[in-house]
Amino acid sequence: MVRYQQGDFAAATALIDRISPPLHRFFLAKSISRADADDLLQETWLRIHKVRHTYRPGEPALPWFYAIARHIRVDHYRKSIRTAAGERELEEMSKGVSSAPHQAGELEALLAPLSEAQREVIAMLKVEGMSLEEVARATSSSVGSVKQKVHRAYKKLRETIGATGPRKWRSGGLA
Amino acid sequence: MKDEEIDDILKKAAQAPQDLDPLVLERIGDSIKPSLCPVRPLPPVWLMAVGLVLVCAAVSLAGAARAGFFGAAKMNLLERSLVFPALGLLACLAAVGFVHQMIPASRLRVSPGAMLALSSVGLLAVFAHLFRDYHTDHFFSAGIACLLTGLLHAIPAGLLSWLMLRRGFAVNPASAGLVAGTLGGLAGVGMLELHCPNFQAAHILVWHTAVVPVSAALGALLGWELRFRARSDDR
Repeated sequence: MVRYQQGDFAAATALIDRISPPLHRFFLAKSISRADADDLLQETWLRIHKVRHTYRPGEPALPWFYAIARHIRVDHYRKSIRTAAGERELEEMSKGVSSAPHQAGELEALLAPLSEAQREVIAMLKVEGMSLEEVARATSSSVGSVKQKVHRAYKKLRETIGATGPRKWRSGGLA
Repeated sequence: MKDEEIDDILKKAAQAPQDLDPLVLERIGDSIKPSLCPVRPLPPVWLMAVGLVLVCAAVSLAGAARAGFFGAAKMNLLERSLVFPALGLLACLAAVGFVHQMIPASRLRVSPGAMLALSSVGLLAVFAHLFRDYHTDHFFSAGIACLLTGLLHAIPAGLLSWLMLRRGFAVNPASAGLVAGTLGGLAGVGMLELHCPNFQAAHILVWHTAVVPVSAALGALLGWELRFRARSDDR
């Protein structure tokens, strides 16, 4: 990251290759299409590039990337709410036009019953393997608040998995 | 079902292939390459916080110098030694909080809302302890004049603070605006304590302290507005 701040293109490319897949997965965990996730990833990198001087050497880099990705995702979410009415009209118009449906991934389906905040905390903590402290930094909250969200998310997941049958998830296949 | 079993299920689900198109990565690399140049990282947190406190102190002192140091002159030693250090301490906390708001993924020790509550309650406690004159002369006319004077100093202090940290990036501009407004509000209260000779408890508790939440609300609104503006600029 320091070399990227110093203008090293090889370091920038290495960072893009290393950080993009988890960020892409982070966007996909919010039930958005693959194309939208690609766009958000590109938008995130443009923002990361613009504010790369705000990273402080010695601090954990992963929460910094996720904090910016989260900002972009929240913006996208708000924008989509504002344009929801317009989109509904477009959907009505395009009902006859065939479109490739977005295939829900297994992780996405598993996290679907969780709230937005719970989903992002679980995605960072359990899927990407970040620590509680890193998740708290990325979400601008306290470690206690993250723990509480995880506890509630697990309670809900336990109910969901219990209702659908653990075998369905353990076998790795979705109906 | 145990937590470990849910962990396993989550891990298994996350291992599903996520084919990120290499063309997307290539496009990202190409888009940042033309503007890739060395950048200077932000200065240390303490340095930026000291700068913010100095800016706020300068605004308070400049305002009081123009209007007169009647309040500070009327205060006794105990009042001076409690009111100004308390304001200084709260301003330091708010300055550090504001710096953290302008750096993504900073460790937040005090949330913006808690910072506002702490500042307001802290000031109320100090004022309630020190000022025991319970008369209320010209409560509204004198009070509104003080509130406006405080805000007239809080707004430039908050804006100068924002300007000072313009190289930072607020992932939540409304929260950052709230903290900047709290900091500006403390500068406004500082000016009022230096200038206002009205030591009636109700006047100080209501109108002087009100500068902080009103200024914080204005800061949050401005942050919210800036976010929308930045978004429309991006488009």
